[in-house]
Amino acid sequence: MLGRMAMADDLPSLRHAARLAGFDWTDAELEAILPAVDGTRALLAALEAVDLDGVEAAMRYTAL
Amino acid sequence: MTELARMIAGGTVSPVDVVREHLDRITRLDGLRAYITVCGDAALEAARAAEAAVSAGGPLGPLHGVPIALKDLFDVRGVRTTGGSRILEDHVAADDATVVRRLREAGAIVLGKLNMHEFAYGPEGLNVRYGHARNPWDAAAPRIAGGSSSGSGVAVAAGLAAGALGTDTGGSIRIPASLCGITGLKPTYGRVSRAGALPLSWSMDHMGPMTRSAADCALMLRAMAGYDAADPTTSVLPVPDYAAALSGDVKGLRVGLLRDFFLDSAAPEVRAAVEQAAATLGRAGAVVDEVSLPLMPQVAAASFAIVASEALAYHAVNLRTRAAEYQADVRERLMQGIVVSGLHYVRAQQVRALVRNGVDGALARRDVLLAPSTPMAATVVGEARTQIGATAVEVRPSLIRYTRPFNLSGHPACSLPCGFTQGGLPIGMQVVGRPFDEATVLRAADAYQRLTDFHARRPVLA
Repeated sequence: MLGRMAMADDLPSLRHAARLAGFDWTDAELEAILPAVDGTRALLAALEAVDLDGVEAAMRYTAL
Repeated sequence: MTELARMIAGGTVSPVDVVREHLDRITRLDGLRAYITVCGDAALEAARAAEAAVSAGGPLGPLHGVPIALKDLFDVRGVRTTGGSRILEDHVAADDATVVRRLREAGAIVLGKLNMHEFAYGPEGLNVRYGHARNPWDAAAPRIAGGSSSGSGVAVAAGLAAGALGTDTGGSIRIPASLCGITGLKPTYGRVSRAGALPLSWSMDHMGPMTRSAADCALMLRAMAGYDAADPTTSVLPVPDYAAALSGDVKGLRVGLLRDFFLDSAAPEVRAAVEQAAATLGRAGAVVDEVSLPLMPQVAAASFAIVASEALAYHAVNLRTRAAEYQADVRERLMQGIVVSGLHYVRAQQVRALVRNGVDGALARRDVLLAPSTPMAATVVGEARTQIGATAVEVRPSLIRYTRPFNLSGHPACSLPCGFTQGGLPIGMQVVGRPFDEATVLRAADAYQRLTDFHARRPVLA
């Protein structure tokens, strides 16, 4: 599920993801990162394999 | 550094002579591309003031007259902070970063600003705009210095500064320390202020000293560390006298050797060097056992999700308007952040909590952990893949494999030399400690350095 959410395995979907994030990069710029994005997507899929039930995220703010 | 500070304070060495000699050497070894900006006039002026203070017999700081240099992402009032990038090449800082101000208050003299991987986003230490910093240990081949604090590693190894400041988001202090044969400390997250330093990833960035010995790291860290109202993540815990903790005694020190994921995947020469280091500590009275950390295979994904998201947010404006001005590898790495979702980011922070608990668990019955800093020694510039034993690996992820777990967990980790390859390149190991227990990390590192001479060896340079 998580891996599919990040899917950007072709130029149109990558362009869509970029525009959603507010970046108007050219197709040439996006094509340059396409091969690496495949690897990134595979890497991020590792997060799906971890049982995180009941685990609080490690974000904290210090008052002092 | 420690000895130099003593000699300057005692009046046996002139800080003006020391600064002048360093400036001459920086000019002579410019081919190493260690510096981006040299502050020669300001350094000489500060040295003359330091000399006058010695003559006047007034109180002197612990680093009085000692020449240091800073990775070019720390602000120095009136000097440009480039971040190693064309984008900021005309950006002049209005004030000193907190750590710079503190080091100056301790008496240190700033020689200049050091080369780095652009915006600290790369472990090779490459820089297209200012030239790649060159590892000083191989005169024949252009080898990487390691990054992102590449200039800091080169400057200390080549004698172009007595000490340097680096930053570490995935290993950027410890990797160049390992590859350049020096000692570099990534303190606990929250121990040293980040105010006035360009960020890569707010929740993963650590500032720390890079020097020739653990004793020198102790001296610098004490001057730098402590609560800072300008950085809300800094801790109010008091700063100990780290140098006073360097007893040279490791009798009874409990050392956990990290084999799974760490030693198991290191080059044979690296593995042998770290195992010998563990044996050396054992002969000195340390109690060594083996331990594993959970979730290490997932660290890469969690680190990437956090760093890529935070870095993309920081660089968003420039990526919208000046993307072509980034060096290609950094631009492409930053752009990949768009495939990380909010859900990835939070899951990564959940993994981070588990990793931190796992490291805490390993340290519950041990004082420090021991591991290689990098799986291999310095590679040749431009080499994307290399051999580790019979296995072909990618250089970039291999360089950060052993260091970034402790950026995720926030534990203090020190890289120090523990041997050399047959080709004469340095090998580094990490000592990892409990949160805010840099004193024990440095005690173990210093004790090892009293028993060995790897940290005292210097590259042969023209």
